[in-house]
Amino acid sequence: MKLAFQLAYKNLVGAGLRTWLNVGVLAFSFIIIIFYNGLIDGWNEQAKHDSIAWEYGNGQLLHADYDPFDPFTILDGHGVLENELSKNLAPILLRQASIYPEGRMFSVALKGIDVNQTTLKLPTASLKNSNAKIPAMMGINMADAANLKKGDEVLLRWRDQGGTFDAAKITVVDIFETNVPTVDMGQVWIPIRKMWKMTGLENHTTFYVANENFQPSNISGWKYQSQETLLSDLNEIIAMKKISGSIMYLLLLAIALLAIFDTQVLSVFRRQKEIGTYISLGMTRAQVVGLFTVEGSMYSIFAMILGSIVGIPLFAYLAKIGIGMPAASRDMGVPLAERIFPVFGIQLIVGTILLVVIASTIVSFLPARKIAKMNPVLALKGKLQ
Amino acid sequence: MKNGSIISIKNVTKRFPVGEGEFTALKNINLEFQSGEFAGLVGPSGSGKTTLLNIIGSLDSPTEGEALVLGKSISKLSHKESALLRNKHIGFIFQVYNLLPVYTVYENVEFALLLQNIPKVQRQKMVMEALDWVGLASMADKKPDKLSGGEGQRVAIARAIVKKPVIVIADEPSANLDAENTYAILKTMRELNKNIGTTFLFSTHDEKVMGHLDRIIHLRDGAVEEDEIINVKTLTK
Repeated sequence: MKLAFQLAYKNLVGAGLRTWLNVGVLAFSFIIIIFYNGLIDGWNEQAKHDSIAWEYGNGQLLHADYDPFDPFTILDGHGVLENELSKNLAPILLRQASIYPEGRMFSVALKGIDVNQTTLKLPTASLKNSNAKIPAMMGINMADAANLKKGDEVLLRWRDQGGTFDAAKITVVDIFETNVPTVDMGQVWIPIRKMWKMTGLENHTTFYVANENFQPSNISGWKYQSQETLLSDLNEIIAMKKISGSIMYLLLLAIALLAIFDTQVLSVFRRQKEIGTYISLGMTRAQVVGLFTVEGSMYSIFAMILGSIVGIPLFAYLAKIGIGMPAASRDMGVPLAERIFPVFGIQLIVGTILLVVIASTIVSFLPARKIAKMNPVLALKGKLQ
Repeated sequence: MKNGSIISIKNVTKRFPVGEGEFTALKNINLEFQSGEFAGLVGPSGSGKTTLLNIIGSLDSPTEGEALVLGKSISKLSHKESALLRNKHIGFIFQVYNLLPVYTVYENVEFALLLQNIPKVQRQKMVMEALDWVGLASMADKKPDKLSGGEGQRVAIARAIVKKPVIVIADEPSANLDAENTYAILKTMRELNKNIGTTFLFSTHDEKVMGHLDRIIHLRDGAVEEDEIINVKTLTK
């Protein structure tokens, strides 16, 4: 085997430009595969981190009648949880409402939140410190859509406990920036105590967000959704994105492998005299097949070295400064930061190396198998077989 | 196999498929070669010289009959066994040298020893010794494309004899060489034949080569026409 590597190295280096073209294409594939997966992994990490920090906490305790995917359950999906059980939980009361910025009606999810909570990253201290009659905060995308800015007053209309419409002006005391659209778009946040008074639903909560000290247990009338459950949708979206992206890089890899395959097929034809010489010098056919296969694999090893020379500084730079994402991408409804910091883990790099090395070995072996059936006499004469 | 015989060809016939039919390249050949012979197969193109050498070199096998080389029946050898026989005991010299183009002169000669897993220091000694025999020690670092025809063939000779094989098979070694280079390589091969006792088997229709052979076997249409013992004692230009 050592001999095959020695000979393959000499043959490849001796082949000059043909080798370096294949190596270049394969190295490019290496870099693209690692870059794209690193970007997705970085996005995954960022999206999970932000979703936990801004929305999911350590899990959520939902009222049994509330279904986050069914807006009709908002009206009745709330209840009161005993004080003793609500330790380590941040309460949120959800009602449907409308605001009227510049006379336009704007349907919103009105969310009451405990101003003292520290479980979520929402800047509820702004609500606490405000002297406004009904202080409110919203995300920057919501504020943009409603054309509202800090200090603006806007009319809010909601239904109280009995279903009667009521209205009052709220003051926008804070506009926060977040990557999590589900706490931003169409959401208005006010103190929960104000909301209890406005709706008459004293001490009622639609769902709680748990902190890390919360111990889940069966509580009658409430259902617990773990952090993993809440993140499952996000995981599915990212997995889908990874699959769709993988088509692109598999195509690229296929082109690179095709170049190796093509070179190998050509080699077996063009180097027949050489093959015959190897056999006449005492190499077995299996050794010659092995030599040609190792030559093909070596393309991927050279590509790995070239890819490392180009890729390591590039990836280190990108991992440090991040990659800017276009604003339009944030409309997808998935947490997406302005800059994503790719994550280039060992698993990704080792996995990619194995994928490329194994794939290039296979495509090298396929044409090399022909050598095993070659007649050495005809090979020495360079006759096509 | 007779006493001292290293190659025994018994009733060997070789046929090749050609289109729907067959072409008989060798017809019932019977020959014996002793250790240390300097013999040649002579005849026009298509007389079966190369086919017979390929069978002796275990690159091909007879359709009928038996070819015994160093006591081994060529037809019965597996791919691996015939590769081992070539690797250890048979050296080849080809008409167009067949040097490996990406290797240096040194590496081309070293190749056969690499296959035998000979330690590096010993390999180095053997390669330089072989290059000394053919007078190319100073060209060890050159690539084959920088050599003249005569030099290329001398490298091929060095590659064939570096492992000190029992038999060297030379298929038209002078076909691409001028008279001076032909003389030079024959002189080299003759010296090796004498000094290390290697058996040389040529195929040729070059009269310059025939003049140096101890034994000439005339082939015509795949059959032995004449087996001529000459016993040339010295080489003259």
